[in-house]
Amino acid sequence: MKLTENMSKEDRKMLNGIFWRSFTVFASRAGATKAHAPGFIYSITPALKRYYKDDPEGRREAMMRHTTWYNITQNVGTFVMGLVASMEKKNSEEKDFDAESIVALKTSLMGPLSGIGDSIFWGVIRVIAAGVGISLATQGSILGPILFLLIYNIPSILTRYYLTYMGFSLGSTFIEKIYANGSMKILNKAASTLGLLMIGSMTASMVKFESKLSVPIAGGKPILIQTYLDQLFKGLVPLGITLLCYWLLSKKVNVNWILLGVLVLAIILGLLGVV
Amino acid sequence: MYKEAFLAALTVFICYGGNWLFGQTMIERPLVVGCIAGLIFGDMRAGIIMGASLEAIFMGAVDIGGALSAEPVTATVLATTFSIVLNVNEKAALALAVPIGVLAAFISMFMKNVVMNLFAPLVDKYAEENSPKKMAFIHYLMWFINYFVFSLITFFSVLEGAKPVQALVNSIPDNLMAGLSATGGLLPAVGFAILMRMLWSKQLAPYFFLGFILVAYLELPSVAVAALGIILVLVTSFKDKQLLDMENKQKELEQRPAVAGPSNSDATKEEQEEEDFFS
Repeated sequence: MKLTENMSKEDRKMLNGIFWRSFTVFASRAGATKAHAPGFIYSITPALKRYYKDDPEGRREAMMRHTTWYNITQNVGTFVMGLVASMEKKNSEEKDFDAESIVALKTSLMGPLSGIGDSIFWGVIRVIAAGVGISLATQGSILGPILFLLIYNIPSILTRYYLTYMGFSLGSTFIEKIYANGSMKILNKAASTLGLLMIGSMTASMVKFESKLSVPIAGGKPILIQTYLDQLFKGLVPLGITLLCYWLLSKKVNVNWILLGVLVLAIILGLLGVV
Repeated sequence: MYKEAFLAALTVFICYGGNWLFGQTMIERPLVVGCIAGLIFGDMRAGIIMGASLEAIFMGAVDIGGALSAEPVTATVLATTFSIVLNVNEKAALALAVPIGVLAAFISMFMKNVVMNLFAPLVDKYAEENSPKKMAFIHYLMWFINYFVFSLITFFSVLEGAKPVQALVNSIPDNLMAGLSATGGLLPAVGFAILMRMLWSKQLAPYFFLGFILVAYLELPSVAVAALGIILVLVTSFKDKQLLDMENKQKELEQRPAVAGPSNSDATKEEQEEEDFFS
C-alpha cells in the first residue's frame, strides 16, 4: 500500500513498534479513572523514546500527560496512537506547540472512533463470524472455531495495522478537515446505522423467550399463550425486554442491577411455570 | 480432581488472559474456549458443540468500556469441565453456565474498577519518574494479577465445586431448571442494550427495528442482513455526501464577497433549488 511505502525506515520501525505493542493495550485496566492509560503509554513508548531522545524532561511531561483516561476500540485506537506520535514529534520540534492539544484531540476522538469501531467490529463482523462459526460448530466441526477466528481477525488486524500508519501520516489536519466538512458525521452515521441494524437482527435471533403457559378451556383444546404472543408480534417479549434494558441503561441504572433483574425475572418466571 | 482443576484453570488463563494480551483476538469467545477445553479434557467434539450453544447464549455479552454483561470464559470452561469430566447432563451444564457467567462478570468489574484502582497512583508515579520500563512492568503486572485471580477462582470451583455441583444439579426442581434455561435466552438482551446505548439516536432507531423484523419475520441469516445493511448504508451515505458537498459549496459562496459576477449568484440559486428538491 502507498501509505506504508512513503515512510522513512525509522518511521516504519517506530510505527511497527506501536502496532505490535498496541495488541496489549487492554491487557491492564488501572481502575475506573485511568482505564487503559498504562497500555496506551506502553504502546506509544517507541515514539516517546525517539522524539525525546535528548530531552528527558520532555519525555517525562509526555508520559505524565498520557496518564489520563484512555479507551478506544482497540484495533481502531491505533489511528490515535499514530496521530499522537505525529503530534509528539511536532511538540518535540516546535517550542511554542500547545502540548495540551495532544490530549484534547486524543480525548475528543475516543467517542466517535469507539462508536465506529464497536459497531463495525462488535456489531457486524463478529456477528457474521459467529454466525458462520456456530452453524459449523453445532455439527462438531473444528472448522467452526477456526473460521470464526479467521473471519474476525483478518479484517481486524489489517485495520489495526493500516490505521497506525494513517494516523501518523494524515496527522491532525486531516482530522480537523473531516470534522469541519462533515465527513466524520457521515461515517459515524453509516457505522451506527449498520450497527443498529445488526443489533436488531441479533435481538431477534439470540434473545429467546418461549412461554409454555396455556389456558385450559372446558371441552376444547387449551389455548397456548405463546401462540397469541406470536400473532400479536413475533418476538414481542425479547424485543420488549431488550428495549427495557436499554431504557434502564439510559436512565443510568447500573448494569449489574439490570443483570440481576433479568436473572431474577427469568427464575421467577420459571418457578411460576410461565417458561 | 487436582489435575482437572489445574487444567481448567490453565484453559482460563490461556483463553482469557491471552485474549487481552493479544489484542482481543476473540480467543475468549465460547466457540474457541469450548474447543480448547474439549481438547484438554479429551473430547474435542463435545467441547466444540458445547461452545456453539454457549456462543449463542453469550452473543450479547461484550466487554465495552469495562461494562460487562456476562463473562463467557469462566462460564464456558466450567460448563465444559462439568459436562465432560463429571458427566453432568449437557442441558444442566448450559443452564449453570449462565449464573456462573454473571457472577464472574461481577468479579471482573470489581477487579477492574475497584481493586485495580490501587495501582492507579503507581501509574502516575512511574510517569513522573519518566520510566517506560516501570510503566511496562506495572502494565504486565496488572494483566497477570487480574487473570491469575480468575484462574484461581476456576481452580477452586472445579476442586471444591465438583461434588456440590453434581448434587445441586440432581436436586434442582424442573421449574427452577426451566427458569435457569430461560435466563440464557434473556441474558443477551443486556449485552445488546449496552451496544445500543452507544449507537442509538432517534433518526437511526428505525434501523434497529428493521433488523429485528428482517430476522423475526423474514428469517434472513445474519450474512444476508449484513449485506442488505451495507447496500443501505452505501445508498444513504452517497446521498448524505451529495447534500454535504452542496452545503459546503454554498457556505463557500456565501463567504465570498458580493463583488462576484452574476453568473455566480445564478449558480447559488440553482444549487438552492437543487437542495430544496432533495430535502
